[in-house]
Amino acid sequence: MKTVFSFLKPYFLCIAAALFFTLTELAVELFQPLLMAKMIDDGIMTGDLGAVLALGAAMVGMSLAAFASGLLNSFYSSHVSQNMGYDMRCQLFEKIQSFAFANFSRFPASSLITRMTNDVTQIQNTVFMSLRIMLRAPLLVLGSVVMAFIVNARLALILLAVVPVLFFILVWLMKRAGKLFRAVQEKLDAVNSVMQENLAGIRVIKAFLRRKHESDRFTKASKNLRNLTVSALRWTELAMPLVLLVMNGSIIVILWFGSFEVTGGSASVGEVVAIVNYTTRMTGAMSIFSMIIMAFSRARASSQRIADVFAEEISLRDGEESDSALMIQQGTIVFDSVSFQYPETEVPVLQNISFTAERGERVAVLGATGSGKSTLFQLLPRLYDVNGGKILIDDNDIRKMKLDVLRKQIGFVPQETMLFTGTVKDNIAWGNAKATMEEIVEAAVHAQIHDTVMAFPDQYDTLLGQKGVNLSGGQKQRLAIARALVRKPKILLLDDSTSALDVKTEQKLLAALKAYSCTTLMITQKMSTTMNADTILLLEEGRLLAKGSHKQLLQDCALYQKIYHSQFEEEDSYVQ
Amino acid sequence: MFNKLAEPFRHQKIDLQQLEQAEDGSVDKAQRKAKNTRATVKKIWGYLAAEKWKLSFVLLMVVVSSFLALYGPYLVGMAIDDFIVTRNSGGLLRLLFGLGAVYVVHSLSVWLQNFWMIGIAQKTVYTMRTKLFRHLHKLPVPFFDKRQHGELMSRVTNDMENVSSTLNSSVIQIFSSILTLIGTLIVMLWLSGLLTLITLLIVPAMVFGMKWITKRTGKLFKIQQANLGQLNGYIQETLSGQRIVKTFSQEQKVISEFRVKNEQLREAGFWAQTISGFIPKLMNVLNNLSYAVIACVGGVLALNNMITIGVIVIFIEYARQFTRPLNDLANQFNTLLSAIAGAERVFDVLVEKVEMADEEKAAELEQLEGEVEFAGVSFSYEKDGDTVNDISFRVLPGETVALVGPTGAGKTTLINLLSRFYDPDCGSIFIDGHEIRDIKRESLRRHMAFVLQDTFLFHGTIRENIRYGRLTASDAEVEEAAKTANAHSFIMNLPRGYDTVLDQDGGGISHGQKQLLSIARALLADPKILILDEATSSIDTVTEMKIQEALVRLMKGRTSFVIAHRLNTIQKAEQIVILRDGELVERGTHRSLLGKGGFYSELYHSQWKREVPLPG
Repeated sequence: MKTVFSFLKPYFLCIAAALFFTLTELAVELFQPLLMAKMIDDGIMTGDLGAVLALGAAMVGMSLAAFASGLLNSFYSSHVSQNMGYDMRCQLFEKIQSFAFANFSRFPASSLITRMTNDVTQIQNTVFMSLRIMLRAPLLVLGSVVMAFIVNARLALILLAVVPVLFFILVWLMKRAGKLFRAVQEKLDAVNSVMQENLAGIRVIKAFLRRKHESDRFTKASKNLRNLTVSALRWTELAMPLVLLVMNGSIIVILWFGSFEVTGGSASVGEVVAIVNYTTRMTGAMSIFSMIIMAFSRARASSQRIADVFAEEISLRDGEESDSALMIQQGTIVFDSVSFQYPETEVPVLQNISFTAERGERVAVLGATGSGKSTLFQLLPRLYDVNGGKILIDDNDIRKMKLDVLRKQIGFVPQETMLFTGTVKDNIAWGNAKATMEEIVEAAVHAQIHDTVMAFPDQYDTLLGQKGVNLSGGQKQRLAIARALVRKPKILLLDDSTSALDVKTEQKLLAALKAYSCTTLMITQKMSTTMNADTILLLEEGRLLAKGSHKQLLQDCALYQKIYHSQFEEEDSYVQ
Repeated sequence: MFNKLAEPFRHQKIDLQQLEQAEDGSVDKAQRKAKNTRATVKKIWGYLAAEKWKLSFVLLMVVVSSFLALYGPYLVGMAIDDFIVTRNSGGLLRLLFGLGAVYVVHSLSVWLQNFWMIGIAQKTVYTMRTKLFRHLHKLPVPFFDKRQHGELMSRVTNDMENVSSTLNSSVIQIFSSILTLIGTLIVMLWLSGLLTLITLLIVPAMVFGMKWITKRTGKLFKIQQANLGQLNGYIQETLSGQRIVKTFSQEQKVISEFRVKNEQLREAGFWAQTISGFIPKLMNVLNNLSYAVIACVGGVLALNNMITIGVIVIFIEYARQFTRPLNDLANQFNTLLSAIAGAERVFDVLVEKVEMADEEKAAELEQLEGEVEFAGVSFSYEKDGDTVNDISFRVLPGETVALVGPTGAGKTTLINLLSRFYDPDCGSIFIDGHEIRDIKRESLRRHMAFVLQDTFLFHGTIRENIRYGRLTASDAEVEEAAKTANAHSFIMNLPRGYDTVLDQDGGGISHGQKQLLSIARALLADPKILILDEATSSIDTVTEMKIQEALVRLMKGRTSFVIAHRLNTIQKAEQIVILRDGELVERGTHRSLLGKGGFYSELYHSQWKREVPLPG
């Protein structure tokens, strides 16, 4: 709950205002019977019609005042709860944006989504409710006990004994339900996760006719959710009958002992009636109280889940020695005996990799599936940090550079193209928000996608769906390349980004890239691409097997020869 | 300080009219029909009614508890008047036992009604949720291409949650409120007709006020849920594109976009909550006003000796009793509205036209030779402009067809049409002479296996992912398929082998390895028609060479459609179909096409041949 309170802090004044208006309302409510009594005594008894009407007018005035405070309370309460929810979501999102990849493995996306929406809503509703009735219930309980004491202290002792017992029961229930509610939210995560997977993989599911299989999975997840929700709610709903039972039980006890007191002459019948009345009133207040407590138990579970996210330690961030003045000037890249393994795994993915890529050079990275090519790329923008050795850009260790400075000067085109909902223009400008339309078009021309875009009905304003499905694989790749080029990067990383392009388009693209004075690293499977590179790195099982120009490798490296022949020899022999 | 206190009144007004128009513009007629509140309530009721018996039990318990809630105080009064005043402790003891029994039964009935109602409500929610899910699976692929996934997810979680929390309490409360209302009304009429009339004066005022409020909240709730859905969609999309966000160092941009969406949600939420918060306040003021009016009128009447003071006092108590259930009803009505806003968004999806509605005459296809014919097929994703135009060719059983052409020429589209992810705008596709529209989709796809451009793996172990191709396959068969696909060795190198759990996006293994797994998955399915869409694009050529043999074995005896850029894959095909800008330009074997000297041979010479310097 600490998290919730810290989020409420900035709204201290508004909370105070909300509570103030609740109290005003409550006061009016309590005053009405008093005015009523006065009306009977001063007006009706004395036959004074003027007094009756005057007091009546006062009552009307007061109810209108209460109404006004009620409305104001509504404004303040909802302002506080909605803003708190807003702040929570913003901060959660910012925190998540600062997550390193290792952090993501501990929080699946579907769970983060539920936390940011459902859990926050849960807390938001509880805060809203609390601000409107929070004070009422305890005040009513307290007031009733005090009044009972004034009337008859001996009989009131019974109430004093009962209240702590009830309180204990409610807290116990709350703890119990709180745990269950936490589990409920986790099951909701699971439902969300199956749903997300099904949406993303709908083609595969349809293609393999696994509707029933997936449906079973979902049914299982949502059955789990249902069962846990039912048991959590049933626990909380136990509160109400228990409160009724205990409070009503105390009425019986009061009547029983009251009868002795009356016989003994230490209490009047009227006093017994009054105390029974106060007990009934307390029952009402207690049931509100139990409702609040139950809402709290649910909010507490949600707030813990949110606190978990905030507590997550970011595993990769700017170090203290990072120097914001360090920029990429030349783009010379040096890998100095770099080794790497993914967090929480034991298998090294890269071992002792050393090479240099001079400014403006074009380096092709070649290697078998799983040999560590993509991993090598991820180390440059520091998605992960190296475990051994170091990476230098312009002779500076990249760990000394600010993360965003480093990344802003790198153009990255990932293997799996991910475009965002929005227009073609938005998606290209995504790489550089400040890009002018000319720059966007220029990038598109270089990425060989301009002509395609111009053929769309709305050209650069054409909308792309989720993941840009209405484009072909190759079109998506070229758009992603344009997105990287529009940054005018010093370093360009192409992770097998031309796999879906036909060779002709690819050649045009590579020629256009010459206009950019950037150091280019590209992963590729195609010999035709490698042959254009200044240097070729050949990886095998995480080690750098060979480096050099096409010619050199063709002479010295057996594996390279084998790859070469695998692509060209067959058709040679075929044609000959 | 003043500024802070003034903040709640500075929220931006939401123009409901305008939003309504915008909303109406974006939905088609069928959906607008569903946006009918009454229809939605009816539908929810339909789900609840499935539990008729339990629901009647709940209502019975509500009757019992409402009655006992009134009967208890009556007995207490009796205890005081008849026994304590008369000091008859023997009689009191007996009565108190009776009272105890009443209280116990009361608590029990309250507990039971809640106990059952929770069961019913959650079952309803569960049914709706699974129904929504099943329905989603029946929707055609284009539906998913056009929607943000996170937005759809919000319907399954956030909107359903709204329905759930309302159903838990509202049904009981509404029913018990109505009961209490009727009971009190009868007693009041019996006490004084005139004062009852005055008390009832608040009803029109209440109706008027409620109309004002619910007219706004009803819409606001809808906007709020829609905004929440959009926010959900945005979060989902950015999280799945986190790698790009990070490498492009665009966290700030994403955060500020998020803020805008979050703000929209806050504003809608603020107004929805504030205005619905007016309801209890409205009820209170009406309550208090009637209190004042009754006191005044009663006072005047008493002065004229028309009623006694005692009647006024009792009456005010009853007037309070009368307005409390009214108050509850008003509150419940509002929660109901928020649930309806949620439910409507769920039902919106349920009225989406399903894909699986196979044509009436659609038949099962038991045996398949594998002959495929495209006859004058045209299709476009958008309404204007053809993606593929008038495509005709025939493939004999067991043949391999390579689809070749520049990017965007329509290769993947042909595959989408063949598998009926989309239906052609005109022309027909025949399999073994049957129009594919006459074959049940399930039956059609059962004979096909796909290795698609975007390899999608599920959260689960590697073994489970391969087995996805054929759920009944044994472990040995799974491993056999992995061996054939050349995936076995890398799998065995993973610390947990086949039991390695893959993240949702298959993280932890490389893209090429994912492709190997999806090939193994297709191998296991053992289909008559095999579709390989860029199946080996991310696999290095040496590995590809190794699995090539497996692929050749796989394609033997099956009709195969292959989209590839690498020549060595293409030239082995019995038939090469060349596409360009959605048109079929050439067709033939590698040799015949080369001899023809057309587009293919141009492609061949410009792309594959020219760049090859002689070794050495």
